[in-house]
Amino acid sequence: MDTLTHVINGFAVCLQPINLWYTFVGVFLGTIIGVLPGIGPSATIALLIPVTFGMNPTSALIMMAGVYYGSKYGGSTTAILIRTPGEAASVMTSIDGYEMARKGRAGAALAVSAIGSFIAGTIGVIALTLFALPLTSMALKFGPAEYFTLMLFAMTAVASLTGKSPAKGMLSTILGLMIATIGIDLQSGQPRYTMGVAEFQDGVGFIVVVVGLFAVGEVFRGMEGLFKGTAPEMVKISGKLWLTKEEWKRSIGPIWRGGFIGFIIGVLPGAGGTIASILSYTTEKRLSKHPEEFGKGAIEGVAGPESANNSDTAGALVPLLTLGVPGGGATAVMLGAFIMYGIQPGPLLFQNRPDLVWGLVDSMYIGNIMLLILNLPLIGLFVRLLYIPAGILYPLIVAIAVIGAYGINGSMLDLYLILFFGVVGYIFEKVDIPVAPLVLSLVLGGIMEQSFRQAMTISGGNPKIFLGSTITVTLVVLSVISIALPFVLPRLKALKQSEDPA
Amino acid sequence: MADRVIFVCIVVLAAVYFYATAQIPSLEIGDPLGPKAFPRLLGIALLITGGMLLMEMWRARGKKRQEDASAPAVDRRVVMVISGVVVWTALYLSVFELLGYVIATSIYLLGLMAYFHPGRWVTNILSAVLFCVGSYVMFNYVLGVNLTKGILPF
Repeated sequence: MDTLTHVINGFAVCLQPINLWYTFVGVFLGTIIGVLPGIGPSATIALLIPVTFGMNPTSALIMMAGVYYGSKYGGSTTAILIRTPGEAASVMTSIDGYEMARKGRAGAALAVSAIGSFIAGTIGVIALTLFALPLTSMALKFGPAEYFTLMLFAMTAVASLTGKSPAKGMLSTILGLMIATIGIDLQSGQPRYTMGVAEFQDGVGFIVVVVGLFAVGEVFRGMEGLFKGTAPEMVKISGKLWLTKEEWKRSIGPIWRGGFIGFIIGVLPGAGGTIASILSYTTEKRLSKHPEEFGKGAIEGVAGPESANNSDTAGALVPLLTLGVPGGGATAVMLGAFIMYGIQPGPLLFQNRPDLVWGLVDSMYIGNIMLLILNLPLIGLFVRLLYIPAGILYPLIVAIAVIGAYGINGSMLDLYLILFFGVVGYIFEKVDIPVAPLVLSLVLGGIMEQSFRQAMTISGGNPKIFLGSTITVTLVVLSVISIALPFVLPRLKALKQSEDPA
Repeated sequence: MADRVIFVCIVVLAAVYFYATAQIPSLEIGDPLGPKAFPRLLGIALLITGGMLLMEMWRARGKKRQEDASAPAVDRRVVMVISGVVVWTALYLSVFELLGYVIATSIYLLGLMAYFHPGRWVTNILSAVLFCVGSYVMFNYVLGVNLTKGILPF
């Protein structure tokens, strides 16, 4: 019952008034940015890093986690009221949620997503609590070769699962790795790819890249929408913020199933909240006795996906905390934050800093309760944020990004870099190159190269070490499958179809 | 069309990266690989990615032609507007340290708001100036994050 002791000790940490306060600040900020377009959890966490630098790392990380899972609650609000997902993962909610709102059931749609998010979010945290220790004991056996192949798997999975084209996902991954090689090489002390610019010797900071890609790029996209005049129309909240008995009965199944689907998808690298919610939506549609209602305001189509994308966040923290290897964009930014505080997540963190890990995990139980309160009785307050004219909001987001980037170390180069990466993010979106893989590989790049070189040093330069244990072989095979599958799958389908008639 | 441009960019980037890698001086003492090995692998991986992209283009060749025909051409006015915003932002950054955070940012925000939220002068001026002064006070005096004061005396 090791876990139980740790959980109890964790509550002693997260119930300290200062940590309760930062949990609240985190989930409150998360809800706001979930509702607001133009700035998401990745950029917000990145912008918080310079601000929280003097803080106690436990409190800072509790707050950042709060931003991450809190944003998923807020994302459903815009999905339901203006049919624009506040966060990418709420895209499925915008289908039936908006239809419900148009039929005067906005209150019920908001209520079911808040309640579903709460139940599923808590399921996710419970599962995280239970799985954490067994996984760390496995991770303790990992050497550099295992870590290298694990990162390889995380990157290939993210590359082939985010976006429409696996090749473009790979491109994004490799660009991130290449940016990570800029700066002084830690082992030999040689500067690489600095182009003679002294500031590049420290490398390109991931905060700058994330803020550029996710905040500035998003603002350019939003401004394009403003210029074209495609501002969506908002439905007023109607009906009581509660469910009828009938609606409740229809929702409880999808909430549970969504909770489990979301957690499992969250643990796997690459897939993330969007895929979890799509999977939950299709599952509910298949199980439903009246699938024809989906797309026309079926409450199951809100309850399931909203639950799935919330338990997904708890799932996504499993590999980050236990292995130190994130499986997506937002958790990669969190890893970056850990590293900036001088903390390396992974199995050793559970041994050395149980107060931090379990304080963080337990804060999520409390954060979810806070979010339920923020998103049910107080949702009306957050909806007011939608009345901020976008023409004022977008310029302000650029200014916030400038403050954040300049605040890191007062470098003008960092400011030009956020503009550069903003343009890059805008163009990448136009040509379907996903940016999440770039962020993941940028954060992991340095560690990946180190573990690659350590492994090669151990083996005396023999690359066979990457196929030297069952774990590495499994991970290499999984990596190859995740790249090859998108190419092979259509062929197999075509084969099957040509066989079927015969 | 876009995919072809991406492919060319990949090849050019790979060439530049290989060249830059070759320029890294390396002593190779105690480290069998040195600082060049991992970058070389990345360069090779980038070329493989180019190959994957070619395969995808080949597979989608029939479909793409139809999509290209139906997809609206790049809207020139959008390109103009976004380029304008980018140039305006670059101008803002170039005077950022000279004028200081508050003045430079206020002018920058007002310019954007005048275009994207036109006609509401009072709202725009109030939100731009209040935001700049408020954030300056909060970051400089409360959070201890130094923003440039520029020509302002405080």
